[in-house]
Amino acid sequence: MTARAWRPREDRIGKFFTRLCGGALAVNLLLAIGLLGLIGFHGTAYFWPKGVAEVELVSGDVLIGEVHGWEEVPADRAATPGERRMRLKIGNRDLYGLDFRWVSESEVARVGYPADIVLLERLEWGNFYGRPVELHPSGVGAVDLRAGLAALHAEKIEQREQIEDFESGPLADVNYELEDLRLEERRIRLDAEEGAEPDSDRLAAVARLKATASKEYELLAAQLFDRRRELSRGSVRMQAADGQHKSIAVGDIVRILQPNEMGLFASVGLYVSRVWEFVSGDPRESNTEGGIFPAIFGTVMMVFLMSFAVAPLGVLAALYLREYAREGPVVRAVRIAVNNLAGVPSIVFGVFGLGFFVYLIGGTIDQVFYPEALPTPTYGTGGILWASLTLALLTVPVVIVAAEEGLAAVPRIVREGSLALGATKFETICKVVLPAAAPGILTGMILAMARAAGEVAPLMIVGMVKLAPSLPIDGRFPYVHLERKFMHLGFHVYDVGFQSPNVEAAQPLVFATALLLVGVVVAMNLVAIVVRNRLRRAYATSAV
Amino acid sequence: MKLVREASGRDRRATVDRLGAIVVRAGGFGVIASILAILFFIVVEVWPLVRAARVERRPILQANTTVMGVASDPYQSHLATIDGEGTVRVRQLSDDREVLVRDVAAGAQVGHITADPNGEFFAWLEAGGRVGLVPVAWQVGFADGKRVVRPSIGDASYFAAQESALVAPIAARIALDGSSRTVAAASDDGQLVLFRRDREVNDFTEEVEESETLSSVDAPDGLIALALDDSGAQLFAATADGHLYRWDAIPRLSSEPEVVTVNGKVSSMTLLLGGRALVVGLERGAIQVWLRAPRGDSPPKLTYVREFPPHESAIRFLAPSRRGKGFVAVDERGGVGIYHSTSERVIWRGESGLRSVSALGFSPKADTVVIAGAAGISIFDVDNPHPDVSLRALFLPMWYEGYEKPEYVWQSSGGTDDFEPKYSLVPLLIGTLKGTFYSLLIAIPLGVLGAMYVSQFMHPRLRNVIKPTVEIMAALPSVVLGFLAGLWLAPRVEEAFSALILMVLSFPFVVGGTGMLWERLPLAWRTRMPVGAEAIAFCVSLAAATVLSILLSDPFEALVFGGNFQAWLLGATGLHYDQRNAIIVGLAMGFAVIPIIFAISEDAFSNVPRNLVSGSLALGANRWQTVSRIVLPTASPGIFSAIMIGFGRAVGETMIVLMATGNTPISEWNPFNGFRTLSANIAVEIPEAPQFGSLYRVLFLAALLLFMFTFVLNTAAELVRQRLRERYASL
Repeated sequence: MTARAWRPREDRIGKFFTRLCGGALAVNLLLAIGLLGLIGFHGTAYFWPKGVAEVELVSGDVLIGEVHGWEEVPADRAATPGERRMRLKIGNRDLYGLDFRWVSESEVARVGYPADIVLLERLEWGNFYGRPVELHPSGVGAVDLRAGLAALHAEKIEQREQIEDFESGPLADVNYELEDLRLEERRIRLDAEEGAEPDSDRLAAVARLKATASKEYELLAAQLFDRRRELSRGSVRMQAADGQHKSIAVGDIVRILQPNEMGLFASVGLYVSRVWEFVSGDPRESNTEGGIFPAIFGTVMMVFLMSFAVAPLGVLAALYLREYAREGPVVRAVRIAVNNLAGVPSIVFGVFGLGFFVYLIGGTIDQVFYPEALPTPTYGTGGILWASLTLALLTVPVVIVAAEEGLAAVPRIVREGSLALGATKFETICKVVLPAAAPGILTGMILAMARAAGEVAPLMIVGMVKLAPSLPIDGRFPYVHLERKFMHLGFHVYDVGFQSPNVEAAQPLVFATALLLVGVVVAMNLVAIVVRNRLRRAYATSAV
Repeated sequence: MKLVREASGRDRRATVDRLGAIVVRAGGFGVIASILAILFFIVVEVWPLVRAARVERRPILQANTTVMGVASDPYQSHLATIDGEGTVRVRQLSDDREVLVRDVAAGAQVGHITADPNGEFFAWLEAGGRVGLVPVAWQVGFADGKRVVRPSIGDASYFAAQESALVAPIAARIALDGSSRTVAAASDDGQLVLFRRDREVNDFTEEVEESETLSSVDAPDGLIALALDDSGAQLFAATADGHLYRWDAIPRLSSEPEVVTVNGKVSSMTLLLGGRALVVGLERGAIQVWLRAPRGDSPPKLTYVREFPPHESAIRFLAPSRRGKGFVAVDERGGVGIYHSTSERVIWRGESGLRSVSALGFSPKADTVVIAGAAGISIFDVDNPHPDVSLRALFLPMWYEGYEKPEYVWQSSGGTDDFEPKYSLVPLLIGTLKGTFYSLLIAIPLGVLGAMYVSQFMHPRLRNVIKPTVEIMAALPSVVLGFLAGLWLAPRVEEAFSALILMVLSFPFVVGGTGMLWERLPLAWRTRMPVGAEAIAFCVSLAAATVLSILLSDPFEALVFGGNFQAWLLGATGLHYDQRNAIIVGLAMGFAVIPIIFAISEDAFSNVPRNLVSGSLALGANRWQTVSRIVLPTASPGIFSAIMIGFGRAVGETMIVLMATGNTPISEWNPFNGFRTLSANIAVEIPEAPQFGSLYRVLFLAALLLFMFTFVLNTAAELVRQRLRERYASL
């Protein structure tokens, strides 16, 4: 074989492998874009109102529901090969037990979208599809039914809001006071020396306060009961698709819609209203409906707490590496440590956080400062503080790497100028180098926050919960409750997607949460990338 | 004045400067400190697992008569003994004072005595040929915030055969709920007699109904020990010549016992907690464990499982633990051994210091051993919180109760108190490696080849857009990837697995074909586009190929797999297809690892000194030759470190495997079924693990393994990178 014959073959092989590389890159890009697109599509589609179909079956039965996609019937059950079936969300969980139902093409006689179908979004039992028949107690006839229902609903919403305010206001205050007094009493007993009688004066004072508070509590509870009864008065009788009647308390209804009648404008309005409810509302039905505000709040607060902890450590370490250390075994060791902190699995941090922060430090704090609450742990259980500290350890390498880059970008002449003017090294660093490196440090902080926002595994161990009864910040002293457990967007995705009893019905909501989480994380990363590129450009020019 | 102030100001500034330097240095060392602190803390938590047991002997207690049976309360505040005259004495251990004495045998001479392993009764054989049984109750209460144990001795009940006298050996049980008392004994006419007294309390009238059933079978020759399980449903017997017998005892003794032969002369025998494992002590000092192991479809059979290193003389007494599968043994010469069956651990061996041992007891919490002999009563405090864990049990196949053969099993908790925890880390290690393998299988080619293309064949303008896009992939929270993989991808892949196969098969043809078409484009068009715009064309054609693959998957499946891939798979290879399997995890975790491998290897490729590339091209090599023979070998250490770091990430990834597999801890390499990784296992189990329990510490050990593993990988990667940086600098 001559060299000439060999060359083209080598060329062809080369080209093929080059294309293979290009193909690999294209797969990466497709995966990234496809995934973002998938989440974006499903996440935004969740809020858009769907038409409600009335499906008449060949058997004569009628179904009402939203069509949630088509698929091929499994071969062993299909009437004809290639037959398709639709997934119909029939709602009315209190009547049928299941939200979804499969309907094969061959079963369907007719599909219509009548305008008079009403969709009730309820506080409990999910959606109800049907037609209103009668309003109770007013008994107004069919002509004014809709208007009457709307008016009554508006009234009930107001009542419901008042009850919520009442519960979180005066009633919660009294509850809180009672709990405080209970702990106070225990504290007095614990304060007493071994074997000695506790201070009876103080005990009596506490008992008096307790009696007053209990009385007030009973009063308020009675009021609440009255208000609740008032709220439950007034119901609408609905007719479901199969003709069953169901009386639904208007006070339990979130929204009354007629989806098939809505125009584009109304749909957009509903979309906005649903998005708002999603980001600002409280969850219902074990997180599968309603909003995710506590999860957003918990995530944000945890991330901010974490950044307070991570900033000093990360910046100091970066300063050490760039400004103080001389190349040598110590610097090598620090770099290896940084890489390991970045590379050790996040779950290991979680385990460490549980053993060290929660059980060791938290347990000690409880023994010393909160003995009256034991055996109920205060800090000796997972909480937002421990979660933040655990994540701070996890994200410190991100800050170090970015801050180092920022410090490296500060030109030597700036430092030398400052030193020449008589500033000490530390003054130079504080007043000249750090301000100049601020964008780099900021990039690191943003990346660390993005990483922390998306991290779930370690938090599952050190304080994240499915449903937190109260936010870590509220109007009661000391206002910030670092020991409280919190909700988190990432855990919400895991929990609702995999642990909820009704995964099918909850899946669209999970997509919406995932979209929010991905959106926040990606946006933070994009900002960081832009800042970093600016920085590199500045560095490039100053180096010349 | 001014001068002084200036001087002091300078001093202060110098102090601040020094302080600042100290603080910054502290920050630097803080990083090392935190990684070491994590390591140290985890090691501290794991340490008690491997630490040797601490056993301490208390001063010998004097006993005036020969103690023939001992029982103690859960908190070891009291000790109950029974002697040869049939006197039960309860003494308070704190001040060695007798608090309760009762003569239960009513003057009859007492022969063989057996104490309940649970410390709740004594049974004895009277010279007249009947068996007596008396419950001992420990009432635990609180007074003034202190725990108080009140011992009491109940009413004795007696069991006698009508026409014969009962003789040794005897065995007795009171069911845990108190509903039945079972006694077994030999009789002087060569029978083995079983009494069962059922006590039923009517829920409404609170009337007590008692009924007694009596059954007997021919006794084997040379009987030396009997044992009943917790509910009295099985009777075991051992003969001196080395046979073990087992009868079903409900409703009456079965006529056909199960018989096996022990290799040696039996000297004692006991049943472990749960009644499924028999511990047999031999004359030659060995201790064997026999399990009722299932054999395929046939009924379970007593099977020899393991043997512990022998004592110097015959094993005389055996007492099971009430916590788990441990037991204690005492030999002829007073040697003591504490053992755990499941973990095959010799926890402690020592001397009792007593001659002619007459009774042995293991306290309910398995934290003291009581041995009585001629010289008195010796109490050993055993500090060994994790007898059920050993290196063997963690990493080697163990023969568990209810299994046919030794196996690797992870099963940390069960529904009952007598559950045998199985802490083999092997299935989890296999799961971890399996998930890592399949994800790297996807991530390495895509990441490295993609990086090669971006750094070598792409215009910088295009590169600046493409690189961040791939890097954004790294930012996607793994919980979202896991959710999509588990709930979106898995059902779709299950439905159209053949589409996935089509995509992979068609890949080289699609990119090859697209490349050729691209070459045919007019030169004028191509020159206007940046180098590497080809990749955009690949995107388009690959997207089209994906859609086409999905559309063609049904005909393809019908053609190649007879219409159903899963059925074909089962028929052709015998493998089951799980919806959430290793391939799904590989895809999702591959997605998470790609950007890491991509970013680091892109770095390595782009940092190859230009002069090497230029030199190669100048010598007449084409682009691909240069890349494959110059750039790739030069950058290979960087790629190695990229793969190491990607490996580390995949090993520790938690959420994706948690959500995209079934989390069943099985040890199989089949890509079509699920698995459980070390990390997912921690996430699943640690919220339920009681602090400082065995499970808690084993999970810390799993974390330690993950830590060490990634530590080695990351350190190796970092060292390689540092070396590489120096080499590039010298080139």
